[in-house]
Amino acid sequence: MESAPGSEPLLRLRGVGKIYEAGEQPVVGLEGVDLDIFPGDFLAVMGPSGSGKSTLMNILGCLDVPTSGTYEIKGMPVTRLSPEALASMRNREIGFIFQVFHLLPRYTALRNVELPLLYAGVGREERSRRAIEALRAVGIEDRKYHLSNQLSGGQKQKVAIARALVNRPSLLLADEPTGNLDSRSGEELLAILTRINAEGSTIVLVTHDLSIARNARRIVYIVDGRLVTPEEYRELRG
Amino acid sequence: MSPLEFISVALDALRANRLRSALTMLGVIIGVAAVILLVSLGEGTKNYVEEQFAGLGANILIVTPGKIETRGGPPIIGAARHKLTLDDSRILEKKGYLFGGVAPVVFGAAEVRQGSRSRNVTVLGVNKDFSPVRNIHVEVGSFVTDSDDEAKRRVCMLGRTVKRELFGNANALGQVVKIAGTRFRVTGIMERKGVSLGFDIDDIVFVPVRTAMDIFDTDALIEILISVRNKNDIESGKELARSLLFKNHNRHEDFTITNQAAMLSSLFTILDTLTYVLGGIAAISLLVGGIGIMNIMLVTVKERTNEIGIRKAVGAKDRDILFQFLLESTALSASGGLAGVLVGALGAGAIRVLVPKMPVAVPPWAILLAFTFSVFVGIFFGVYPARKAAALHPIEALRYE
Repeated sequence: MESAPGSEPLLRLRGVGKIYEAGEQPVVGLEGVDLDIFPGDFLAVMGPSGSGKSTLMNILGCLDVPTSGTYEIKGMPVTRLSPEALASMRNREIGFIFQVFHLLPRYTALRNVELPLLYAGVGREERSRRAIEALRAVGIEDRKYHLSNQLSGGQKQKVAIARALVNRPSLLLADEPTGNLDSRSGEELLAILTRINAEGSTIVLVTHDLSIARNARRIVYIVDGRLVTPEEYRELRG
Repeated sequence: MSPLEFISVALDALRANRLRSALTMLGVIIGVAAVILLVSLGEGTKNYVEEQFAGLGANILIVTPGKIETRGGPPIIGAARHKLTLDDSRILEKKGYLFGGVAPVVFGAAEVRQGSRSRNVTVLGVNKDFSPVRNIHVEVGSFVTDSDDEAKRRVCMLGRTVKRELFGNANALGQVVKIAGTRFRVTGIMERKGVSLGFDIDDIVFVPVRTAMDIFDTDALIEILISVRNKNDIESGKELARSLLFKNHNRHEDFTITNQAAMLSSLFTILDTLTYVLGGIAAISLLVGGIGIMNIMLVTVKERTNEIGIRKAVGAKDRDILFQFLLESTALSASGGLAGVLVGALGAGAIRVLVPKMPVAVPPWAILLAFTFSVFVGIFFGVYPARKAAALHPIEALRYE
């Protein structure tokens, strides 16, 4: 595809498919997806619910493996990795931002942000220092000792971004990050994403909302598990 | 993740559900306390019995008349039923080169009277060897002497209880009492021995053995006690006594020689078994506590499915999750175990204070065993829930509300 010619893609998907063997009939989740994501990209994956965008995000985030095709992160094939190796891939290369935040409610903001570092084996002091740094980067350092369930939605999502950033991953994956936020918090969040992309982070944003997707530099459309052109998308959705 | 961090995560989770954790621990606490208490009772009983026999010494042989047939069946008709006599005692004394003392004993019951006071007591006819062999000594005066015995002197030594009942606080030494209507001079007061296996040693009157034979009109001994000089010669001493008596009884083995130590050791084996059985029964309640842990851990894993998903999404490996939950169940059972040790030890202390007659002794091995077992229970019953947690698929776990 287009963009950042000359540089090696950070993520490379070729013919990626996912078939779920649930029940009697196999369900096609993804089919023949070819996609390159380059360092510094800000890509929106746009599609209606049930289009396969969550499946794509799960595969990109190493939460799941494709049933066909190849997927490489920095040239490393992910397709045949063990669950163990996938876990460390998620730990080192991916930062997740979810629609429902997915913070641990009994933990303070700080400890939530420390979590990826904990599993990366980073020592206590270093962990706390880097977590505070990440919280500062999203402007919520003053809430570090608040339990996460005492925070507002916008604050929670900022903590989630800090958690996603803290281990300096190659890729930030945001799945409908504004879905549970009021419009003001949503805009603030998108501004933060735009800023950290400008600072060099690669971001993939999954959404069904075109106005959100427009914040990205590049949009891919997905319908029925396949990537389609904008024209095809308008046609199919029309 | 370092072990210390695993532990702190586990303790955090337990603190988050204080009441539930405490109730789950209660099963283990009761189990461990029960193990410790029951084992302590068993051990206390053993110590009690040991104490009761302590004075007896391990080197005592007891000869009693009649043959105890281990094979059972009626006695053979015509077989002489020989009594034990002073002649037997004399032979043992003369030819028993391995023996330190030979004490023939005549047993009787009689009324002892002093003035208007009287008491029915056990009267034992003994010689001078009885005192060292049975480890019972006079406190004042003197015990039976050879010349007392040979002259069949009417002298007696009173047990503490008898003395108190007949004389109160007055001096008894040199006084005269009537035993079965015969006048005896009190030549000794025995030291206090207390109750041994339900038998009041202080409620006995000792007289010379030949004197006893006179007043009870008998020549039969109830038993002959033999102390073997060297502990290692117990078996050969027994054989020596057997062959001497066998010859003296016209080649009839119509007597029984019991080895005190062997008897005691088999008794202790029984008491040990009893202790283990009690501990084992209590350990079953610990197992039940373990099932309680498994139950609550399964609930916990279900409730925290989302948390597991989050941890996996940020990079927790299956084994990180496994250890986390395994450590949680182990922390539950270990802290329950610690509390149980405390409750058990306090309970044993309370019994000692409230029911002084009940023998309790808390053996350190029981504490260690009960605690170790409780930790093991936590690991064992924690494995299944922890494996379930570890095996959760991150996507499904994240989706779980």
